[in-house]
Amino acid sequence: MKKEMKKEKKGSFLDVLSDDYKGKKLGIWIGFIISILNIVMFLPFIKWVGIVNADALYSKIRTSSANIEILRSGYNAFDLLHFVQYSGFGAIGLPAMLLLLFAVATLYFQIANVVKVLRNSKGRKGNLALYSAGEGAMGFEVALTLSMIAYVAFSNARFEMKGFSLSPVVIIALIISFVGLVAVKIPQSKERAFYHDNGLLKEIRKNWVLFLMLVPTFFYFLINNYLPMAGIYYAFTNFNFRDGLWASPFVGFANFEYLVKAQLWMLTRNTVLYNIVFIFLGNALQIIFAIFVSQVAVKWYKKTTQTLMFMPYFVSYVILKVIVYNIFEYQYGVINTFVVALGGNRIDFYNTPSYWPFLITFFAIWKGIGYGMVVYLATIMGIDAELYDAAKVDGANVFQQIRFITLPQLKPTFIILLLYALGGIMKGQFELFYQMVGNNGVLYNVTDILDTYVYRVAMTQPTSIGLGTAAGLYQSVFGFILIVGTNWIVKRRNEEYALF
Amino acid sequence: MTIRKGPSQIIFNIVSYTLLALMSIICVIPFVMILSGSFTDNHTILTEGYSLLPRDFSVEAYKTVFKAPEDILQAYKMTFFYTGLGTFLGLIMITLTAYVISRKEFKYRNTVSFIIYFTSIFGGGTIPWYLMYSQVLNAKGTTFAIWFPALMSPFLVILMRTFIMGSVPDAITESAKIDGAGHVTIFLRIVMPVLGPGLATIGLFLALGYWNDWYRSSMFSTDSSTWELQFYLYDLLNASTAIKQMSQNSSISTAELPTQSVKLAMAVVSTGPVLLFYPFVQKYFVSGITVGAVKG
Repeated sequence: MKKEMKKEKKGSFLDVLSDDYKGKKLGIWIGFIISILNIVMFLPFIKWVGIVNADALYSKIRTSSANIEILRSGYNAFDLLHFVQYSGFGAIGLPAMLLLLFAVATLYFQIANVVKVLRNSKGRKGNLALYSAGEGAMGFEVALTLSMIAYVAFSNARFEMKGFSLSPVVIIALIISFVGLVAVKIPQSKERAFYHDNGLLKEIRKNWVLFLMLVPTFFYFLINNYLPMAGIYYAFTNFNFRDGLWASPFVGFANFEYLVKAQLWMLTRNTVLYNIVFIFLGNALQIIFAIFVSQVAVKWYKKTTQTLMFMPYFVSYVILKVIVYNIFEYQYGVINTFVVALGGNRIDFYNTPSYWPFLITFFAIWKGIGYGMVVYLATIMGIDAELYDAAKVDGANVFQQIRFITLPQLKPTFIILLLYALGGIMKGQFELFYQMVGNNGVLYNVTDILDTYVYRVAMTQPTSIGLGTAAGLYQSVFGFILIVGTNWIVKRRNEEYALF
Repeated sequence: MTIRKGPSQIIFNIVSYTLLALMSIICVIPFVMILSGSFTDNHTILTEGYSLLPRDFSVEAYKTVFKAPEDILQAYKMTFFYTGLGTFLGLIMITLTAYVISRKEFKYRNTVSFIIYFTSIFGGGTIPWYLMYSQVLNAKGTTFAIWFPALMSPFLVILMRTFIMGSVPDAITESAKIDGAGHVTIFLRIVMPVLGPGLATIGLFLALGYWNDWYRSSMFSTDSSTWELQFYLYDLLNASTAIKQMSQNSSISTAELPTQSVKLAMAVVSTGPVLLFYPFVQKYFVSGITVGAVKG
């Protein structure tokens, strides 16, 4: 039936793309070959951008002669940033960085297309998965080459001279990828019609109300999350407000080198160690108190204790600051008042770092115990009551019931929470640390975490913005790797609990 | 309960009831200290320190706080504005998004979910985010920079989706669609009326976040007219520390500045509404956490 339909519509010479050739449509093979050609063009020795009028250009960027030696005569798709780095010219750096990420993504799509065609990974709907792979590969290549052309024009405009020239490779890649896109699109539209599958545009026309509902959300995440990601670039610059967003000098990995030499190790150590203590001690106490609450038979007692333990979750961290100050202040604090009343010497908490790991841990648990308890209580409530009844009939006492029923039933929840908490181990509880310690430099060695460092840089050290961005990027990248890694582990253990 | 209590149950009960009481006290006692300190005469605090129960009862601190109430009222007004607007807009956006990604017939629902979820596992970091608002949007000093960034969060969107999928069975929306109802009708007539608990829960999470925030004021406010209440309190704490230091340096008697009890009174004034409402709305937070806990 499928074959018949295709034959009926045959007419134009482009329809030959829909014919089968070795089990696949010709359009797919064309996309496949073009993807291979595109991958070849990504090879390092193939230049995408050349430099003309080198002397005039180098005099314009006023870089040292040693750097000019390093600046090469042309660039492939990946080392555009070299020029930006050694010339120190920031104005073309941000687009170069975006182009680099774009090039990596494009290469990925080419390889994915080739691999998918070779492995013949069809989905439920015939060849549609293969067409999507080809569409993605060709589309990205077209967009990348167009951006490359725009980038060269933009760079020349910035330097107000013709310093960069476009290699014919880019034009060839653009043309063949466009041809490939057409070759994939024609059989794709037929296959789509056959399977009643809609492309994005058709889907928008059909479900425009749903898309309209997403518009505010789209702008929210674009402004608040996705556009700032481009700011990662500033981790590689010596950012300053005089040169601004566009012209701050590019310095490569200098910020990271400085951070490694300075305090990166200390910040990482503090962040990770505090998190490990919070996770294990916090979860242990939350489980213990969830079990206690679940066993209380007196209703008002159960309700009251739960309400009171949940209370710290609801107040702001500024209130926590008041509380800590109230208790540990040198002159008037509750503890020192008490100590003096007993005839002892005042304890100078705010100038003694050794107390603070304990205090911070205490208040982290204090603030989080109610929330975590509710999570575990939800799981305990879900345990089949018959299990307990059966255990009671068998004469198990309450300790045995907890040991052999409650705890094993809580184990999956605990493991999942644990793995995800470990995935977030690079993220600190910024508000907790900042409000408890503030700008008290005496304590930094044991209390400074990555988040407080970055915040302080943003607020008080405008000259170190690049450093702060670098520290934030380091934190984001490692956090990302940890989360993806733990998710992978969770997925292998139990598919249902995986988040993505 | 008619269960026979063995000795182990009795021991367990003694231990658990005691520890629960102890933990509850630990969780509450700091609030008692603040409250009693705010009613203590400032001079007594300065000479004898803070204590658990109020000594030399005095409402002087509250009088001082309300002697020049313009600043506090301004901070209160702004906080009500941020909380109201942010919760309202956030609730609309979250509910619409959650509705869309809960539709099985929506082809891109997994893509959209991933785009939203991805923001919680990777980000550009604090400084690019700060530069986005301060340099690119030029929003420093505006109220926009304070209410906009907290409108949505991946956690709340996913939570709302779980609420929608739990309270509206597919069969009902399917039959409505067969009767010719569009998405707007389904959303307004079928989903919204049964979504009360979900809306209350998400709304309260949003409102609590806005009420307790001080961070965005510290980043984006350029003068006190846009301060959030908690940041006002934060500033007062730091400023009075500064005043204390100043008076020490210049050897002026600190006794003339009622700084200590005023700080505590201010803390009470700024947190009062939250703790007053808390017992009544607690159940919504519990239900939200419980629903959220079901899925990781």
